[in-house]
Formats: sequence, C-alpha cells, structure tokens
Amino acid sequence: MAEGEEKGRLQRRLLSLAVAVGCVAPVAVLILLSIATRWPAGQAWPAELTGERWGELFSGRGALLESLVLSITLSLAVATVSTAAGYLTSKAIAFSPHRHRLLLLAYIPFAFSPVILGTCLLFLYLRLDLAGTAGGVALAQTMFSYGFAVIFFIGFWTPQKQAYEELVYTLGGSTWTAYRRALLPLSRGLLAVGFFQAFLISWFQYGLTLLVGGGRVKTLPLKVFDYVREANPYYAALASCLLVLPPLVLVLLNRRAAPSFGVSR
Amino acid sequence: MKPRLPDRVGIALLMLVVAAPVGFSLGYALLYSIGAVGLLSEGITAEHWLAMLQRRELWTSLLLSLHVATTTLLFTTSAALALALLLRRPLERGPLSALLYVPLAIPGTVAAFLTFQLFVGGGLVERWVSALGATLGIATPSGELVPMVHDPWALGIVATHVALAIPFFALLFAELYRTEAVSELETLATSLGASRAQVLWRVTVPVLLRRASTNLVLFFIVVLGSFEIPLLLGRQTPQMLSVLTYRKFALFDLAERPEAYVLALIYTAVVFLLLALVRRLPQEGGSLG
Amino acid sequence: MTPLLEVHGLSKAFGGESVLQDISLRLEGAETLAVVGRSGCGKTTLLKILAGLESADAGSVTLAGEALDPLPPQRRGVLYLYQEALLFPHLDVTANLAFGLEVRGRSKGEIRPRVEQMLEELGLSEHAHKAPHQLSGGQRQRVAFGRALLVEPKLLLLDEPFGALDTDTRARMQQLFRQVAEQRQLPALFVTHDLKEAIKMGHRVGHLEKGRFRVFDSLQQLVHDPRLGVKEEMDFWIRLERQAEAPSAVPPEEPPETPSEASPGVQAPEPQTPELQAPELQTSQGKAPSASSLDSSAPTTPAKASS
Repeated sequence: MAEGEEKGRLQRRLLSLAVAVGCVAPVAVLILLSIATRWPAGQAWPAELTGERWGELFSGRGALLESLVLSITLSLAVATVSTAAGYLTSKAIAFSPHRHRLLLLAYIPFAFSPVILGTCLLFLYLRLDLAGTAGGVALAQTMFSYGFAVIFFIGFWTPQKQAYEELVYTLGGSTWTAYRRALLPLSRGLLAVGFFQAFLISWFQYGLTLLVGGGRVKTLPLKVFDYVREANPYYAALASCLLVLPPLVLVLLNRRAAPSFGVSR
Repeated sequence: MKPRLPDRVGIALLMLVVAAPVGFSLGYALLYSIGAVGLLSEGITAEHWLAMLQRRELWTSLLLSLHVATTTLLFTTSAALALALLLRRPLERGPLSALLYVPLAIPGTVAAFLTFQLFVGGGLVERWVSALGATLGIATPSGELVPMVHDPWALGIVATHVALAIPFFALLFAELYRTEAVSELETLATSLGASRAQVLWRVTVPVLLRRASTNLVLFFIVVLGSFEIPLLLGRQTPQMLSVLTYRKFALFDLAERPEAYVLALIYTAVVFLLLALVRRLPQEGGSLG
Repeated sequence: MTPLLEVHGLSKAFGGESVLQDISLRLEGAETLAVVGRSGCGKTTLLKILAGLESADAGSVTLAGEALDPLPPQRRGVLYLYQEALLFPHLDVTANLAFGLEVRGRSKGEIRPRVEQMLEELGLSEHAHKAPHQLSGGQRQRVAFGRALLVEPKLLLLDEPFGALDTDTRARMQQLFRQVAEQRQLPALFVTHDLKEAIKMGHRVGHLEKGRFRVFDSLQQLVHDPRLGVKEEMDFWIRLERQAEAPSAVPPEEPPETPSEASPGVQAPEPQTPELQAPELQTSQGKAPSASSLDSSAPTTPAKASS
C-alpha cells in the first residue's frame, strides 16, 4: 500500500516536471533561436550564439523596430477605445430588457473567425477607403476587441453595482459623479485586466490585419510569418520574442491578467 | 432604472461598431453570393451556391474544420481534466501554478512557427533525437519522426491548438474544482457508497464539464475558425474554412469571390447554430446571460 | 393640512406584467409607514418610483406639496436605503459619510464638523478611518444610515434595511432607527417582509400583495386579515401553551404558512404607535403574548420550542 502511494507520488512529480518543461520550453526555444547563428543542418546545437540581432533591433536599424512601434501604437489605441466602449456597452446591455439579444450581437465579433468576418467586411472598408491603412486595421481590430470587452465586463454589472449608481443619484450626484466617484473606482482592477486583454487581442491579431491591411500594415505577427516564409527562423524567433515576452512578464506579475477564451474564470 | 446618456451611448456604439457593419457585410455577402451585386453580376442566380455546394472542396474543408475542432476539443478537455485532477495541489501553489501561465502569452502565429520549426523534416526535434540517439548509441530513423507539418490528418494543427489550450483549461478546471466545492460532493458520493471510479465519472467529471461547457463550446468555435495555425501547418487541400475563404478572396479573381462569400455564409450559419447551443447551456457561468 | 407625502393612483407594468396597480398612500407628517410584502410583490418598484429611479406608468407623487414626477432623483430629497449597506469599498468610513455632502458641492469646512458629529452620534468615532471591510455588518449599516442622514433627506425609503443582519444587531438597529427618526422628525417608508418588524417600526402598517396596497386602519384589522395569518400563528402558540399545561395531549398542528418568511409572529405594539394600540390584541384569556416569548429571536418551530 505504502509502496503504491510512493509510486503515485513519484509519478505525479514526474508529470509536474514534464508539464513545467512543456510550459517553459517554447519560450526557451524562441530565445535560443533569436540568439543563434550558424546552426548547420543536422547539428543539435548552434555553432555560435550572438546578441547581434537584439542589438540591431535596439540600435534602430532594421524593420523590426518599426513593426514593434507600429504594433504598440496600434494595440494601445485599439485597447483604449474598445475597453472604454465595451465598458459602457456592457453596462447598457446588462440592465437592458433586451439583454439576451444584445449580448448575442457582442458574441459575433467575440466568437467569429476574424478572417471570415473580415472577408465580408472588406467591401465596406474598401468603400470607405480604409483598406490598406493602419487606421482601417485599427478600426477592424477594435470591432473584435470591443466584442471581447463587452463580454468581459458584462459579469461586473450586478444589481449591486446598479444600486451603487442609484445611491449616488439619490445622494445628489450626477451621472458623471456616479461614474467618476463610484462605478470607475469599483471597477478599477477589472478595467486594467480588460484593457490588457483587449490589448492582447490586437497585439496577437494576424489574419484580420493581413486582410484589411492588405499586407501593407506590418505588425509583429505579420513579421513573424514574413520571416518564416523567407526561411529566416532567427528573425522570426526575434519577432516572436517581441510578441511574447512583454505580455509574459505582465501575466506572471499579475496572473489575473491572463488571456481567456471564455469569460468567467 | 431609466437609461441614462452613457447607456444610450453604449447601445449606440454596439449598433455602430457591430450591428451595422456586420449586418451590412453579411447582407452584402448574401447578395453577392446570389449574383445580385458585384462587378460580374448577371442578375440573381443560385448558380454560385449550387456550384459551391457540389464542390468537393467545400465539404472536405468543412469536414476538416470540424475534425480539427472536435479532435482538439476532445484532447484538450481530457488532458486538461487529467492534469487538473492529478496535479491539483501543485496547481494551487508552487512553481507549476505560475509556469502554467507562460503558454497563455503565446499567440497562434508564434505557436505555429514553433511547431513548424521543431517538427519540420530536419527540424530541431529530429536533430535532438538523433543527437540523443548517437550519444546513447541507438539508431534513430531519419526523416520526420512525427508528421506534424502539412500532414494528412492535420495532426500538427490539432497538436498546436491542444498545446496552447491545455494550460488555460487545466487552470479553469482546477479553479472550478474549488469554486464548485467538488471535493465536498466527492466526499458525499463516497459516503453514499460510490466507488472511486463512480465518484470520478458520475460526480467530478460531469460537474466540471457542465460548469465549463460554455467555455468549451466557445473554444470549439474559435478552433473551427482558426487561421494562423492551419495557414502555416496545413496542406494545400483540403484547407480549413478560414484559410480557404481567405485564399478564395485574396486571389483577386473576381469569379472566385461569390464562392468566398458562400463559404463565409455557411460558416456564419454553423457559428450561429453553435451560439444558439451556448444559450441553452446551464447559465451559472453567466456567459451568455 | 396637506399630507407630507401623497401617492395617488400609481401603476407600473413591466413588459405587460402589472407590478403596481393603482397604489394610493399618504404620510401625514413625521411618521413611519411600514409596508409588509413578500419578495416580488412590487415593493422595491414602489420605492424606486418614489426615489425617481424608475418611472410610473400612471399616477402622481407629491412631497410637501411639490409634484415629484418631473424631478430627477438628485433633486427630490428622497433617500433610498438598501438591504446592503453599499459602502464604497475604496473610501474609508469618514469619506463614505462625507460622500453625499461632497457630491452636493459643500465646502470642506462645512463637511468636516458635520461628519465628526455624525460619527459620534452613531458611536463610530473610533472607526473613522477604517475601510468598510473592517467593519461588522451592523457598523456598516450604521455608516450607510449616517451617510443618508447627513444629506438631510425629506423622506427616507428603507428597503429591508436590516434583512441581512443577525437577530441582536437587527434589534439594535431597529431601536437606533426609531430613535433617530423620532429625534429628527424624519418621515419614512419602511419595507420589510417581516410582519413583526413592520409592527415594531411603523406607526401604521400597510400590506402590498400582487401590486395592490392597503393600509390597516387598526391593529384588529391586521390581526384578522387572513392573508397575514396572524390569527393562526397566535392560535398555534396558545394551543401549544395549553398543551404544555396538559402534557398528554398531541402536539398542535403547524400553523399555515404566513406571508412573513423569516419569523412569523406578532408582538405587542410599542407605546409610540398610537393607531395600533388596540385592546383587541388581548387574547381570550385576557393575556397579550409577551414580547420576549414572541420576539424575532425566539424559536418559531415547535421542535425548537420544546427543546
């Protein structure tokens, strides 16, 4: 009996170890590839390591820095707009008598494939002269992260939050006071997490950016695939590191910020 | 309560940002697909729909997408459940509870690239295995060990999706195990005379799956429409729905365009069906309340 | 004399479902009207309409001679207190108390002494800088109460305000409310599902059921209203008492379910409720049920009563 338990414990240890390795290995491989040079075919290890690519990136040479700046700007704008708009809309939906139907609308950008919906949307973007521009990409991405934000915040709007709002009114406060002094402070933490996740939706977006941007708006995910197509795994890895490391640091600092497919966690 | 200005703005935004463009675009897609609009339009016709519906390409694409989504869902759910139950304590505290968050910061593009780099013929895994074999003095087969890139069964696509999603669902199940007081239910079932297997299959697993059902269906929808991963790891034919739609559209061959719209509309119908299913699921999660 | 609050012909329906039907009521002066009703009877809707948080389909509301209907909640001087204290978690006790005065744009010089005085009045001075989560349920409810009083409302609406408190705290809060309402001559509508609490807190008691409202003219009327089940409840205890004197008898039947969900029962009226002071409450043996035996803290089931 004791032997069986001992064996079970050992198996669990090994499983834990395997999972831990599986979690860390992808990032380790990315970093290794981003600093590898001369990795001849058939060799298990690169012949040489170099910090040159990273140095090049931060010295301002090369196209990657441009993509990094573009990605950051685009995603910050998208996250700001969609978080603010999603916050307002989620509240309106939560207390609306048509809650179910309205929420289904928000689920369309949340669940639909951005590429397929984007294919249908492209005609509109072409008509509005937005296709192929960073502004058009930002707008298209906003629709999707906005859908996410609405669903993310919907759970916040409980009858209790409504009671807080009403309390402010009966105490003499205006709508603006209710938001500034009660609702926003009550949702500060959630807003930060929602912002971060809306940021990530834009930050990671590939297909929609490719489609609406017509391949001309080169965000980091597009760069990754460009390098893969050029058979340049080292730069693809560098671009991947730029995509993965910043959110990784934030997620590890605050686990509540972790991305989610669903809503309730 | 009476709606106030911000509430009106909120609803107006939903109409402006989602309802209007989506309604317009789907309407346009429908009209285009029946030849009512478009540069090459020659009047309303069912031709594009009939042609597309008779095309093998459509059905293999739909089947492939359903195969990938179903297989991914099955593997992810079983693996995540197993991890959450076997490693319950390490998942609650200790380094593993933090490490599981690492894959959550990896997007589909990067995951696809990694799978490609690791498993393509002559890739890193092959090199490491043969190096290990050489060290240990064991002969290893040359060439692809596991067919993961452009393979006929879309194994690479499924595996990449599964690897990305397991941590999220393991964390979700571990959390639900706590919030749903599953261990109390297990104790109760045991005291009622249930065996360990009965407790697992008739209490623990159903409770967790039921509570996670909304997330699981949404995940299914996401995989069904996934793009980056099949774009890099999939074959030329068949292609998953997103990839096929994109290809048909991006060819800029106007004759192919109605077909792209037919595909998009079929996908839309499937997703709406699935969303209707989500609404019927138990609503404790409040996801589609 | 014009009544302080006059509600006339108030109706409200949600999606075709009638919630309030032709409700009329008056508050003559600084009195408390207690409203008894089960959950879902429309009591919250009634209070929200009075506070201006919900609009009525028909009817009128006047407060101190002024028509309330066109006024937004901010300008009605009607304060709504919930079952939950709803203290702002990001503000300490002092800041919570000051909240109403601050949003009304009062000066710091005016706010500080008034808040300090309120802290003292409520016995909360030592908790002035605590966060809401550091307070007990009763303390939180006291802060909420003080926050409401500081804006000097013309009318107080209380929606099951003590429903979440334990029995002892609840009794203390009931006492505090009566005392403060008396001192400040504060008119109030006190909604509760507990009939006993209604009788304790209200100068008059009304009953709201399925959107219809009536005020009892006398305690006798209340006791004999079959929908409240007071008579059955009293009969139950009287039979029990008789059986206790003759132990061989079978236990009495359970009383039928009464509208008050928590602890059904009646208590002798307080001296300050003149309209309800009626000799009819005397039982056939000429003995009124004592407050202690039928208090909300007393056991209400035969099983507990016999232990």
